[in-house]
Amino acid sequence: MKYVILIHSNPQPWGHPTGDFVAEQRDLPAETREQLNADFESVLEEMSARGELIGGEALADPASARLFRWHDGERLATDGPYAEGKEHLAGFFLIDVESPERAEEITRNFGAPGETIELRPAMWPGGDAD
Amino acid sequence: MTVEQVWRTEAPHVLAALTRRYGDFGDCEDAVQEALLAAAAQWPREGMPHDPRAWLITVAQRRLIDQVRSESARRRREERYAADALDGAAPVGVDDSLEVLLLCAHPALTKASQVALILRAVSGLTTAQIAAGFLVPEATMAARITRAKKTLAGAGSRFPAPAADLSARVGAVRHALALLHTEGHVRSSGAKLSDAGFSGEAIRLARSLWRAVPADPENAGLLALLLLTHARGPARTDAHGDLVPLEAQDRSRWRRDLIAEGVAILEAVLPVGPVGEFQLQAAIAAVHDEAASWAATDWPQIAELYRMLDLIAPGEAVTIGRAVAVARTEGPAAGLALLDPLAASRNHRVAATRGHLLAELGRTAQARVALEQAARTTRSIPEQRYLNRLLHEMA
Repeated sequence: MKYVILIHSNPQPWGHPTGDFVAEQRDLPAETREQLNADFESVLEEMSARGELIGGEALADPASARLFRWHDGERLATDGPYAEGKEHLAGFFLIDVESPERAEEITRNFGAPGETIELRPAMWPGGDAD
Repeated sequence: MTVEQVWRTEAPHVLAALTRRYGDFGDCEDAVQEALLAAAAQWPREGMPHDPRAWLITVAQRRLIDQVRSESARRRREERYAADALDGAAPVGVDDSLEVLLLCAHPALTKASQVALILRAVSGLTTAQIAAGFLVPEATMAARITRAKKTLAGAGSRFPAPAADLSARVGAVRHALALLHTEGHVRSSGAKLSDAGFSGEAIRLARSLWRAVPADPENAGLLALLLLTHARGPARTDAHGDLVPLEAQDRSRWRRDLIAEGVAILEAVLPVGPVGEFQLQAAIAAVHDEAASWAATDWPQIAELYRMLDLIAPGEAVTIGRAVAVARTEGPAAGLALLDPLAASRNHRVAATRGHLLAELGRTAQARVALEQAARTTRSIPEQRYLNRLLHEMA
């Protein structure tokens, strides 16, 4: 079953890995930050080796987004950001795993101070077995 | 047979011959895969060789030796391989497909890995074809297959499998083939349902399992189940690709030939016993397939078959099936009561069934809550569209 792991973050300035630019993580002791990075690297490696990782991207500054809306019967383009929220979509991973439990086990490792990680199931085009 | 059918049929025989001689399943499987690719490139252009199996064995052997040569650390093994080259016309047993199938269903592998490995090693599909079927990139599927082969090597798997394990291994093969069949028809979108794909391959393999081990009546049960389920394929979605529940399917579109074959296999095996889960599931499918309509279905028979299935292979799907049947024989309230133990389940099909039964009882508000829950939690787009349509019509 497929899931997306969405990284919601607000690095200042915008940058990757986001943890290097999020105040809550910059304030952590060096060892703790290294541990967080190591956890993340090892889960990425494990996902690749197990054939669970389909893909993923780090996203550019939300201010660089172009937004397309419908306005007075026409398509209108404006500049981002999409939302003036506390957090923005900073990156995503697409995974395909055996079970919801495995998806949660993976995603747990993405969590870090000052960020929200969203695990969201993907829909599929086929029907149920009958 | 097309040229592709020829090399795919030969794949497990070639693999078995090499593995029996050289031992390393992972290396041999890679070599056979390369030989299949060579066949795909050459046969359509130059014509099929006089003895396709001997051709494939020769090419695979050459690839295996090249592969080992390129790994200098393994020089000693190279010498052994080179000195011990297989005669291209070496006799191979008729049960080779079965032996490879049994190895792929090794208990150290997850069900999904077993299925992926079967498609490569037994069905002779390329990684790209398997990846396309599972809707994942080729690199992702390649990693899964590599890992499965490493797991097999690490688990000290033996080829051929020890005879003592045979019955458990054959059971694992059945479950893997049933999963392959389900993947085939739930993964394909409406427009592709007519394409046999993985489901057709599952039937082909179930048929060869049944022929190889006819003494196990569950093998006949599995083949009958797959045929009887496959028969309904053309009616499972409408022209828009929307899901049509069994209740509303146009039964004139069901494949009568597959139903007749499935029923005949089942009728021949049921008296033999012992009756296992696949025979019971096939029997349930047969009752549905032979009914002129949903209303005319022999529900007491289906309820009894589910009761027996619940004793030997209980599970949520069995409870749901039983609740639906009991609702027809004893009324919706009795069906609903059977679902009570599943109150905490996150399975959307439990909520959907509860919603249907509550609606029949006229408890519309509760029915809506259950159907809304089902619509929110299903991950199938056609299923969600169906539930949303139902909710809209109830309003």
